[in-house]
Amino acid sequence: MLDLFPSREAGPFGRRLKHERGAKIPVTVVTGFLGSGKTTLLQRFLASPEGQGTAVIINEFGAVGIDDALVRDSAEETVLLGNGCVCCITRTDLQAALRRLVFDREHGAVPPFRRIVIETSGLADPGPILQTFSTDRALGGEFHIDLVLTVVDAVNGETALEGAAEARKQAILADRLVISKTDLADVATVERLTQRLQKLNPRATIDIAVKGALDPQRVIEPAAGERSGFIAEAAHSDGITSFVIEQDKPIEWLAFARAMETLIGLRGADLLRVKGILDVAGCRGPVVVQYVQHLAHPPVELESWPDQSRNSRVVFITRNIAEGDVRTLFATVQALAKN
Amino acid sequence: MAASDQSPITKSYQPITWNFKLLANDMLGGFGGMGEGMSVQIAPDGRRIIWLAHESAPKNFTAVDVSDPRKPKVVCQTDLPHANMRSNSLETCGNMMAVAYQTSKKDLQPAGFELFDISKPENPKSISFFDCSGPHSRGVHQLWFCDGEYVHCASGSRDFTPTHPQDDQFYRCVDVRNPSKPVEVGRWWMPGTRQGDNVRPPTRHPIDKGFRAHNTNVYPQRGDRCYLAYIDGGMFVLDISDKANPKKVSQWTNSPPYTGFMHTIVPLFDRGLMLVTDESTENNAKDWPKLIWVLDARDESNLVPISTCPLPDHTIYAQAGRFGAHNIHENVPLPTAWQSDQIVLGTFFNGGLRAYDISNPYQPKEVGIFQPPAPPGAPTGTIQMNDVFVDEREIVYAVDRHIGGLYTLEMDF
Repeated sequence: MLDLFPSREAGPFGRRLKHERGAKIPVTVVTGFLGSGKTTLLQRFLASPEGQGTAVIINEFGAVGIDDALVRDSAEETVLLGNGCVCCITRTDLQAALRRLVFDREHGAVPPFRRIVIETSGLADPGPILQTFSTDRALGGEFHIDLVLTVVDAVNGETALEGAAEARKQAILADRLVISKTDLADVATVERLTQRLQKLNPRATIDIAVKGALDPQRVIEPAAGERSGFIAEAAHSDGITSFVIEQDKPIEWLAFARAMETLIGLRGADLLRVKGILDVAGCRGPVVVQYVQHLAHPPVELESWPDQSRNSRVVFITRNIAEGDVRTLFATVQALAKN
Repeated sequence: MAASDQSPITKSYQPITWNFKLLANDMLGGFGGMGEGMSVQIAPDGRRIIWLAHESAPKNFTAVDVSDPRKPKVVCQTDLPHANMRSNSLETCGNMMAVAYQTSKKDLQPAGFELFDISKPENPKSISFFDCSGPHSRGVHQLWFCDGEYVHCASGSRDFTPTHPQDDQFYRCVDVRNPSKPVEVGRWWMPGTRQGDNVRPPTRHPIDKGFRAHNTNVYPQRGDRCYLAYIDGGMFVLDISDKANPKKVSQWTNSPPYTGFMHTIVPLFDRGLMLVTDESTENNAKDWPKLIWVLDARDESNLVPISTCPLPDHTIYAQAGRFGAHNIHENVPLPTAWQSDQIVLGTFFNGGLRAYDISNPYQPKEVGIFQPPAPPGAPTGTIQMNDVFVDEREIVYAVDRHIGGLYTLEMDF
């Protein structure tokens, strides 16, 4: 469109945004293993002033929507996706429910909610949910995931992380981790769990919530602050690794895009989550990129950098992909692009 | 925010704040019925003053110190000489301000515009008055003044007898380089609207608001063009390279089948686009739809409408007061005005303030809404957002038409 109607205000990626979300509807995805305290946390949040104007989507793995009944009174609008797990069989239901909410809001059929919280079933893998929000053709045109928040129960958390791959993946893919029920566990147990979570996901901060009491801002504020350090090196028992590639010189967009295309083409299924902030040559502000498996979010240019550093930083959470191979790929493509 | 208890609108109409952050609301000392003149001055002492026109008597204009937009402070508020007039429009340029005076009936005084020295915002001093009164004139409804040299206005004149009483205001260009002695240098009216024209008068619209001038925007990027909205006559691009003899370059209208009242034209020069607004003038959305139109203006002689900025279903808005387009931020060519060809901000009466991303001009996308609760004492029981201005700091100023005064906001998209 810029070919026909060019604008000096726009960058190569379109209008520069004040923040990554732009004008999209912010979404918090709350995950956590069965009985970890997600619903309690959500109830407390919805009762707070910050929780006003929140539409809630609840996914329950069972025919009777108990959690739905618990939060319905306090949410602006509650949608129950019953009898299946949101990451697999009801993923299309999630898309339909979100689209319906927007349609109803535009037509005054539901109150003018300002954000959406999705409470996933305890068994959900957040990966496919993130994927659903990746592209404009799916939900990425209207919604933006500000935060993946994972609740881990202090009493049973270690067991769950030990025994269930889903629980580990929930912790690994979280932007923010919340340990619940610390009043019911001894100090040593909480300490062990904290260390385990830090090893699994060093880029996420860890909050404590007793009986759901958590600063409501922590349920909605984007996780950008936590990620600004981009400390993410970790190796996991499931072959899942996370690492950061940094560069202090401006990146040529074409070289970056080609390297990512190659990586996606060869190993897309094993790119669980990739997120980066780039100093792209020719761009005024930083460019935010995000990938989930084979899908790429449209890159967006921000008006300004979030902190002092101008380094490009990309966090990779991958499965059975060696960090060294990715580094070599990027270095090689950039070298070739220069010639 | 809680909805006003007075609101007569059904439950489905509710206050909305979406991607705007309200900084402050000032009801301007109980005189918060504001018109469509908003202009920011940096005073000689460094204060940032926004000058605001009032929708109707008794007040003439109000100056508000918005150096800290979270704490606006009224520094000056003046009175009109009588109740049968209004000063709906004003503009500032440096330390000079032009204020439009329109009377409620013809042949009343004062009808025209007044120039003020505003170097001391607490004490504006009149420099001169340009008389536009006459047996068929109500004076000046709107004016444009941003080069310190010419006032372009929608005005009647003593020597102008319209073919229809509603068609009394036309385009006039007044040289104010000697501000104590303004002199008219050119004028243009829609053929057929002046007695003696050799063209038949235009056919009236069912909702007859007059074939007369409204906004008269002129930008330095094309100093030889006036972008003239002509209410029921649609819009015109005028060649004003010879100010004494303006010539029509092109015309575009949406009415019929729409219901007239074209209000403002804002060209987006770099992009070859043009924004055109209607004004809703009927309560309860009887003149729906009133829209912001996006035109492909790459060829100024052949303007092509390509989209409109989307509005919600009007049924929930059609119950109290006006709903539909009115003023937009006009990229006034002054250092104190924000310039954007990507974002459009417009006021929609009970639809509040709305922002649109027109990166893709074929598909404008709503990116922000500020539809506050009805101000206390609002006669329609709803907000009636009337005008908007954005300064170069990207602080948004919006005003209510009846009572709510000034709202200061930040954009969050």
